[in-house]
Amino acid sequence: MGILKRIKRTILLLLAFVNILGHSSIALANELPYDTYNYNFYEDIVYTPAAYVPSRSISGTRLYYEGEPLGVFSNPQDICKTPAGEVVIADTGNHRVIILDKDMTKVIKVIKDFDNNNEKDTFQSPYGVCVSKKNELYIADTYNNRIVVLDMDFNLVKIIKDPTSEVLEEGYVFSPLKVSVDYADRIYCIAQNMFEGIMVFESNGQFIGFIGTIEVGISLWEKFWKRIATKEERSNQRLFIPTEFTGIDIDDDGFVYASNIDDSGVQAIRRLNPRGQDVIKKGANENLGGDLWTSGFSNYSGASQITDVVYREKGMYSLLDRRRGRIFTYDHEGNLLYIFGGLGTQAGTFVTPVAIENIGNTIIVLDSYRAEILTFRETRYGSLINQAVGLRYDGDETKAVELWKEVLKLDENNELAYVGIGKAYLTSGDYVNAIDYLRKGMSSEFYSIAFRRYRNEVLKENMSFLLTGTVLLIIVIVTGRRIYRNKKGIKKEEGLLNE
Amino acid sequence: MNKYFSKEKIKYVFYTVSHPVDGYYWIRHIDKGSVPIAIILVVLFSLSFSFNRIFASFVVNEIDPRTVDSLSELGGVLLLYALLCIGNWSVTCLMQGEGRLKDIAIAIGYAMVPFIISINLATIVSLFIADGEEAFYYLILVVGIAYGLIMMLLGIMQVHNYSLSKTLLTLLLTLVAVFIIIFIGLLLVDLMSRIYSFFYSIYIEIVFRV
Repeated sequence: MGILKRIKRTILLLLAFVNILGHSSIALANELPYDTYNYNFYEDIVYTPAAYVPSRSISGTRLYYEGEPLGVFSNPQDICKTPAGEVVIADTGNHRVIILDKDMTKVIKVIKDFDNNNEKDTFQSPYGVCVSKKNELYIADTYNNRIVVLDMDFNLVKIIKDPTSEVLEEGYVFSPLKVSVDYADRIYCIAQNMFEGIMVFESNGQFIGFIGTIEVGISLWEKFWKRIATKEERSNQRLFIPTEFTGIDIDDDGFVYASNIDDSGVQAIRRLNPRGQDVIKKGANENLGGDLWTSGFSNYSGASQITDVVYREKGMYSLLDRRRGRIFTYDHEGNLLYIFGGLGTQAGTFVTPVAIENIGNTIIVLDSYRAEILTFRETRYGSLINQAVGLRYDGDETKAVELWKEVLKLDENNELAYVGIGKAYLTSGDYVNAIDYLRKGMSSEFYSIAFRRYRNEVLKENMSFLLTGTVLLIIVIVTGRRIYRNKKGIKKEEGLLNE
Repeated sequence: MNKYFSKEKIKYVFYTVSHPVDGYYWIRHIDKGSVPIAIILVVLFSLSFSFNRIFASFVVNEIDPRTVDSLSELGGVLLLYALLCIGNWSVTCLMQGEGRLKDIAIAIGYAMVPFIISINLATIVSLFIADGEEAFYYLILVVGIAYGLIMMLLGIMQVHNYSLSKTLLTLLLTLVAVFIIIFIGLLLVDLMSRIYSFFYSIYIEIVFRV
């Protein structure tokens, strides 16, 4: 028996050890190369579990195409995904476009040239790529000043160049940087030195106009200085030019998500409707600019510089910051869901992040300096939040409660989770619990709704007691006063009572 | 002890609140006030202020309760109180003010009563209000603060036997005096720390050499 017991114990020990080893991948999550945090109601930093952890990095050196090594990417500038989930890379410095399969392990196609009316045509520094719903490949062929559209078999469909319009200056050189296509094949393009907004082209390539011009705000102080400056000084001053857009993505309904660099760190993302109006929703703190803590004087400080945006699903979108290498994810109400990512040279960090894309439950980021694609795997924490937010987006808040409760087990400080649960209680009419959770979630808006209803309920139930109580109190006070005065021998006031 | 905390003196605080002009007049002329009570009122005000920031509902309160340090706030309030009293005293001394330091301390201290009442009332009310009803909260606060400020003004006016315009002028000068005191205080602290570091370096030198 003794030996048996000992063997059993050894096996158990071994199992435990294996278990520990098996969990070491989770333990690794604590050794992330970056901080994962979020901002609470007081706009303080709260550290959270990681929503995404680095999983792989893909460089050109380990990829083969038609038996030959692909070679290092050179200053790649954009990535996008096809409807089937394949990844398209604009390998800008090598003047080519590369298509990888879903797992990014195999090269499907390298496009270096295409057949332009029976002539071989090439690219010159293609900065942007995009694939439409119809599986057509749009390439912003920047230094050839055109957008090239290829079909599924990589044959030329059309070329868009030399936009002409009254609003464009004479001799305007069209250098497209980023391109995106909506469901109706309208083309949205960010062009170099084009401050008027995003250029929109009809599906036949006709330039129609701009959308989403960012207005320049001149403060009173700047106006004052302008007023007192001499002409010479004025000419030396910086011009008030609207910032350019940096990244673009289009959601399923045809709304354009466009990111820009906002030095004040307030709004770095716009959601433009077809008329070009910004219809993005802002959260409680009215901020869509990435980091809230940006003070300091180093290179590392300052407002986040959002270089790209990816619309994910269910109203969620992620912004890529090149200042601190962070990825910010917001939901459709403008709440900051989670933050991860960082600059550095370790695996899983960036040097110069330029483009972001979302494939299934991974987020991939293109780093132009490292010439690598870095992939980030969703953790349980991230997946719970994503699912819960998705359910809320669909209006299924009661179903989301279980998920939010799981989130709270992982992160007790998650205000969104408290609000999610509180809102479910609110709809079910359990105001006491709703008030409790919504207060923890610091949602003034929904807390107030719950509190007002609860207050009305309490008042309604106790109205008779309250009214009787008040009447009794008045009687007690009046008689008490009279008795007190009689005892003290104070005479009744003259006037009314004397009559 | 009874001299400062007699029932009469405590009752007189509320008389001053309801009849500021009269109340402050007798404080100056027949010693109806009490400095310890005034200081206690200032302490109470400071505590109420901290409690408001800790306990007021988050609908109206944007301060993280965990960051509130009531002790350091108490220190700050008392320091400000002392600065105001001394600043006002030093100005009014030169401007034919009749009030003694004691009277000024009482005048400012007793004016805390409306602050204390309104802040605590507002804190309690804040627990029963929802979004969009903040106006009640701020109304209570504003009324209390306005009443307190008027009391302070009348108090200074009465104890020094000033006209209104002269009171306002002295109050302005008081602020200037407070800034000068702070400035000189900072200079002094800086000087002291320099002297200290001088002697400390001498000490270090000696320790290393000998």
